[in-house]
Amino acid sequence: MAVTKILFNARLKIMMALAAVAGGIIALRLIDIQVLRHNDYLQMAERNRTQVIYQTAPRGRVFTADGITVASNAPSFSLYYLGGQQESDYLEHLTRDFAPHLQVEPAVLSAKLRSGATSGKAVLLAENLSTKSMVALQELQLYYPGIYLIEETKRNYPYGDFASHLLGYLGSMDEREWRKRDPKLGYRLSSKIGKSGVEKKFENDLKGKDGGVYLEVDYRGRVKSIIEDKKWAAGSDVYLTIDFDVQKAAEEGLKKSSTGRGAVVALDPRNGAVLALASAPAYDPNIFVPYSDLMPENSAKKINEYNLAIQGIYPPASTFKIITAAAALESGKIDTERKINCTGRYNAGSRYFKCWGKHGPVDFWEGMAHSCDVYFYTIASLIGAAPIERVQRLFMFGRPTGIDLPGEKSGNLYGPTRRARNKTYWFIGDTLNLSIGQGELLVTPIKLAQFAAAIASRGNVYRPYYVDKVVSNQTGKTQQVGQSEVLQYAALKPETYDMLFKALKHTVDNGTARRVKIKGLDVYAKTGTAQNPHGADHGWFMAFAARPGEEPSIAVAVFVEFGESGSAAAGPIAHEVLEAYFKQKNARTSLDHEALLAEGGAHA
Amino acid sequence: MPDMKQMSPGRRRFDFILLGAMIGLVIFGALCIMSAVNSISFTNSVVRTHLIALPIGALAFFAGWSFNYQIYDEQWKALYGFILLLLIGVLLFGSYQRGSRSWFVLPFFSMQPSEICRVCTILVAAAFLDRRGRRIREVSSVFYLGILLIPIFGLIMMQPDFSSVVVTLPALLVLLYCTGVNVFYLTLVALLAGVAGFFTISWTYIYLHPELMDYTVVRIFHELSHNGWYIAGFSVIVAVLGYVTWWLFKQFRVYLPSFYFVLASLVVLAGLFGGMFVDHQMKPHQRKRVEAFLAPRSDPRGAGYNILQAQIAMGAGGIAGKGLFSGTQSRLGFVPERHTDFILAVVGEELGLLGTLCVLGLYLLILWRIIAVAYMSGDRYGYLVCAGIFGMFFTYMLVNYGMLIGIVPVAGIPLPFISYGGSNLVSSLWALGVVQSVYAHRLRA
Repeated sequence: MAVTKILFNARLKIMMALAAVAGGIIALRLIDIQVLRHNDYLQMAERNRTQVIYQTAPRGRVFTADGITVASNAPSFSLYYLGGQQESDYLEHLTRDFAPHLQVEPAVLSAKLRSGATSGKAVLLAENLSTKSMVALQELQLYYPGIYLIEETKRNYPYGDFASHLLGYLGSMDEREWRKRDPKLGYRLSSKIGKSGVEKKFENDLKGKDGGVYLEVDYRGRVKSIIEDKKWAAGSDVYLTIDFDVQKAAEEGLKKSSTGRGAVVALDPRNGAVLALASAPAYDPNIFVPYSDLMPENSAKKINEYNLAIQGIYPPASTFKIITAAAALESGKIDTERKINCTGRYNAGSRYFKCWGKHGPVDFWEGMAHSCDVYFYTIASLIGAAPIERVQRLFMFGRPTGIDLPGEKSGNLYGPTRRARNKTYWFIGDTLNLSIGQGELLVTPIKLAQFAAAIASRGNVYRPYYVDKVVSNQTGKTQQVGQSEVLQYAALKPETYDMLFKALKHTVDNGTARRVKIKGLDVYAKTGTAQNPHGADHGWFMAFAARPGEEPSIAVAVFVEFGESGSAAAGPIAHEVLEAYFKQKNARTSLDHEALLAEGGAHA
Repeated sequence: MPDMKQMSPGRRRFDFILLGAMIGLVIFGALCIMSAVNSISFTNSVVRTHLIALPIGALAFFAGWSFNYQIYDEQWKALYGFILLLLIGVLLFGSYQRGSRSWFVLPFFSMQPSEICRVCTILVAAAFLDRRGRRIREVSSVFYLGILLIPIFGLIMMQPDFSSVVVTLPALLVLLYCTGVNVFYLTLVALLAGVAGFFTISWTYIYLHPELMDYTVVRIFHELSHNGWYIAGFSVIVAVLGYVTWWLFKQFRVYLPSFYFVLASLVVLAGLFGGMFVDHQMKPHQRKRVEAFLAPRSDPRGAGYNILQAQIAMGAGGIAGKGLFSGTQSRLGFVPERHTDFILAVVGEELGLLGTLCVLGLYLLILWRIIAVAYMSGDRYGYLVCAGIFGMFFTYMLVNYGMLIGIVPVAGIPLPFISYGGSNLVSSLWALGVVQSVYAHRLRA
């Protein structure tokens, strides 16, 4: 018995040790789960129990420089049933009252209600309701507990297609896109995001924080209680440099033009700020944010996203003669008063080059004013192509303007060095073609506007910018975005600029650009008609203007596709734009505007 | 039988630590059950039943304590008959609930006889082993005990009530071990269970991952162990392997009885057939549990859902917990079986790490005291009874905690004193009463 007793005790001890070890392992694992992984599990538990009916926060508004709201938000409503179990009589009553306001079949509505009543889950009865039905629904909501009217906001562009290429539009994400987004920003798969323009560029500022009704649900998704009704935080506002009236004038001008296709870019030559950037045809970004109960004709998911102002490339035609003239004046080889006889054609040795008219004897001023090709053939053959190419490079032709918009085309620089690099020959005919802006030379409308602004500012090639600042709606803080930036200084002699100014003014006063003559203003302009072998010619018009005694404050380039004539098609648009700019600007200069804003800031 | 009427009036008749730990757990359990069922539609019936079970359990405890435990030793045959009667009775008159016929429905409450039988089986087995006396080291002891208990397990399996078997078998192993049975035989018994389990689990695993069949080894294993004639081949291979091992040992001048090898081979084959039987008998929901254990996150909405939600509940509780009645996982029904098998998840969520460690500590305290009582017991029978009851509670603790922390498959086993379940509470309290009785009649101080 003694032997067995010892054996027993040893085995008892082993059993107890085993229990202690098991307890230790269990305790360690419990600490692992309950302390070390506590946060992960807590998050999972919270996710388990909460269901959120999200309320999309209002996106930040977009203002023009003169304070007009061009993108805002309109209220939109969703109707939820959170009532849980209810008598079927009650549900029927509900259906009868609500169906007419929701534009749905009573049978559909009552089916939805019944499923909500049996499952106990939150049921979406209707979404995207407009303000129109809201008042009636809000009243009805008072009578029926369990019905929740959730307010949301929807993007609204009050002026329709106003500056649509610049503002952009909203669209849905696909799942891959959604995964790529930073989870901290709180995007949902159903969130709408900016797909182009300002909406895309300033997505993070405009977005804001969504609010929502946080419901506590059990394991079957039945609503138990409402945890929290979290208010949204609106996004930040974006202020454009666009001038509403100028943009409006540009767009209306394009619409009224013979073909309705073209682009207008207006810049402030003092800093490169975009005053107007219009491209036709445009689109109405409102079509992407429809209300379901208004049933829009689902016509236009196909939009014209093509931004002609920055993506269309065309020969600059006669507007290029400014470059040729500048090169000739720089070279010092020409006498501006010497007359050259235009007989309508120019003998280039092997063949004749035509002029668009018969101008007779013209000096430099007349040649510019009437855009006489023969005059420019003559001075181009006198100075050669290389100086013309040099001046092109000074004004950064063949390079994008650097505006912060996607898809800008760079155009094409044309000249002997390029030919040399391509190991082909440069002929006299190329020089003549170059001198009048034809041939392989290609520019975008915005490039030409930048060029006009550079001439107007006597050599400052600015990078165009269209967003001035972003103002937070939460903190009131202003973040300056737009910065004036000189890309390059086109160092021509001051006398050259003086003479160009004189010639361009002469063009307005006595020449082809008479249409933009405005009383009380110094307007400088040049027309252009780009030959188009495939159809009607394109019309160009570039201009800049100043009040007498001041430096130029607007430079504009107008392009009308297939417009046939620069002065006839594009000229009136330029006139409208200049007029729109100066009509009100008599009252307040841009300096005044800044002072006004500073004052407003002080009050806030 | 030594004369045990030697109690002097000055001796303590209760082990107060054991009593205290037990009362602590019962109070803990009552609170947790109330919290767990707080939101269930049948809250009232659960709480009412538990409140009825508590005094009955107290009565059972005092009954266990006040009777001299040796009565079970003397009357073990009657006890054995009582067990068989109960089990046959429940098969005949029991009500069929949730896939098994294991309940007597009485006017005011229901009872589950297999819970009582659990404790009785240990008492009977201890009495049998006590009677084997000095022949305990022989293999025949294990064999006869097996023969004795097969009817009980057979009847329980006919209900079927797996959880009773899962708890009682390890308890019997602990009992055998503490009796002093040769460890080799115990190893064989464990091996038998191990082989059976291995085959079942590996078949399930292969079933879950059909792509594994591309590997020759796996395919050969699967084919050999699955199909009619191949099994004969498998048997031959096992026999040959046994012989070769024996022969190799002989070459190295290690002389072991050839009997051991025959036995080992037989056990492997018995394990195979046992495994096939289990595999065949396994119900879909049980196979799902094995699958969920093998890959808990493969299907978080399906089989792995329960265990994942239970772990989320525990993890969300943190150190101090969310407070009684305020755990979202349990209140909103994410934790399944939250007042029975998964009650620890509720403890973990609402009382945190402190709660789970407290329960664990009380359990270890109880286990320690049972061992201590076994050490003090006045005779061998008291010692054996304590060992068996120790094994039972140890298994409960291990399986219940192990299930939650993911080292044991979900077995559907409640945690005595904490989980809701009247019969379980009553029989567990009775078992501790018997331990107190052993203490009261102890030999040593």
